[in-house]
Amino acid sequence: MRNPVLHPSRPRIRYVSPRFQGPAVLAFAAIIATGGAIFWKLVDSAFQRIFPHAAIRGHYAFDSAYDIVRDLLAWHLAGLFVGVFLAGSILVLLLIAAARHGIGKAVASLRASADGDLSTPTGMGSIGEFDRFGKKIDAARSYTLASVLKIRSDAAALAAGGISPEEFRLRWDELKHRIRRIAP
Amino acid sequence: MSGPGAAGNGPLIHRRYVLGLLLRLCVNFAGGVGILFVILYFALSRSLPADYEGVFHALRNLSPFLRPILAVSILVYALLACGSTSALCVYILHKVAGPLYRMERILDQYRSGAHTRTVSFRHDDQIHPLAQTFNLWIGTLHRDRHRWLATMMNAERHCLQDEATCRAEMEEALRKVAEDMARYR
Repeated sequence: MRNPVLHPSRPRIRYVSPRFQGPAVLAFAAIIATGGAIFWKLVDSAFQRIFPHAAIRGHYAFDSAYDIVRDLLAWHLAGLFVGVFLAGSILVLLLIAAARHGIGKAVASLRASADGDLSTPTGMGSIGEFDRFGKKIDAARSYTLASVLKIRSDAAALAAGGISPEEFRLRWDELKHRIRRIAP
Repeated sequence: MSGPGAAGNGPLIHRRYVLGLLLRLCVNFAGGVGILFVILYFALSRSLPADYEGVFHALRNLSPFLRPILAVSILVYALLACGSTSALCVYILHKVAGPLYRMERILDQYRSGAHTRTVSFRHDDQIHPLAQTFNLWIGTLHRDRHRWLATMMNAERHCLQDEATCRAEMEEALRKVAEDMARYR
């Protein structure tokens, strides 16, 4: 019989975030839909022209309709593939460039934070999710800076003297407690 | 290099990851076009009638007949390509989006005052420098906090002596801590 030891449930990390991945999926879908629509328009108009033309030409040296439009279909399918792939590749490169730029700013901001600069804005850019992420980093830095500045001013006020020993001890302990709350 | 000075200096998104994504997209779109070709091939490759008049009428009526077939085959292509590209996007982009989402949660936890641990992403995730610089920052805060507390506790030791020495040492410790905190701006 298994020992019924209860393990604390670990929070499940969701790696699918519609806020981050949704817009990219929609952009790819738009590219595919646009490519399909252009292909339909071009091939349909070509079919409307080619088959009646082949009918009235009279020399039927083919077994099926496919033999008539083989080259046309091959070129249009190749065009569809190249067009959609090129547009998709450009979108990928734009997404990667935006991610590199935005996250690069976040990395620089965190590195500056380690050097004590907690007030210069991250400035991750105006792209929705990156902007939001940058604001979260800035909020965490502001929170830390506010704590440190408050402790610093209290420490300076306490060091200035003129406080009774009992109150001094009380505020000393409170200060220690607040220092322990920095990045606990 | 793995020291604190080197933290966050690696590439944010590896070139291999980008090339892999482009290659998968290429295969995906080629597959979609291949399926579209197969549908159209089967629709167009039916043999025409053997007699002259039959071929003439078949070709005359073929283009209106093919229009819905063409529309449906492109719809099938669009649905299949969109579905597979969406799955590919979710699978590939989660290596960037996942760590970002995780960092967001950690930043929220940090602000709520919860215990802050170092962050590490899965080994095949991208944007590792983000976790490294976050850890560098949190590590600096931890070190500073320990140093401030150590300064204060060191002053408390003097309380075993007389009251005046204890108070003077504590005030000196507070001045040191305040001075040390001045680097945060």
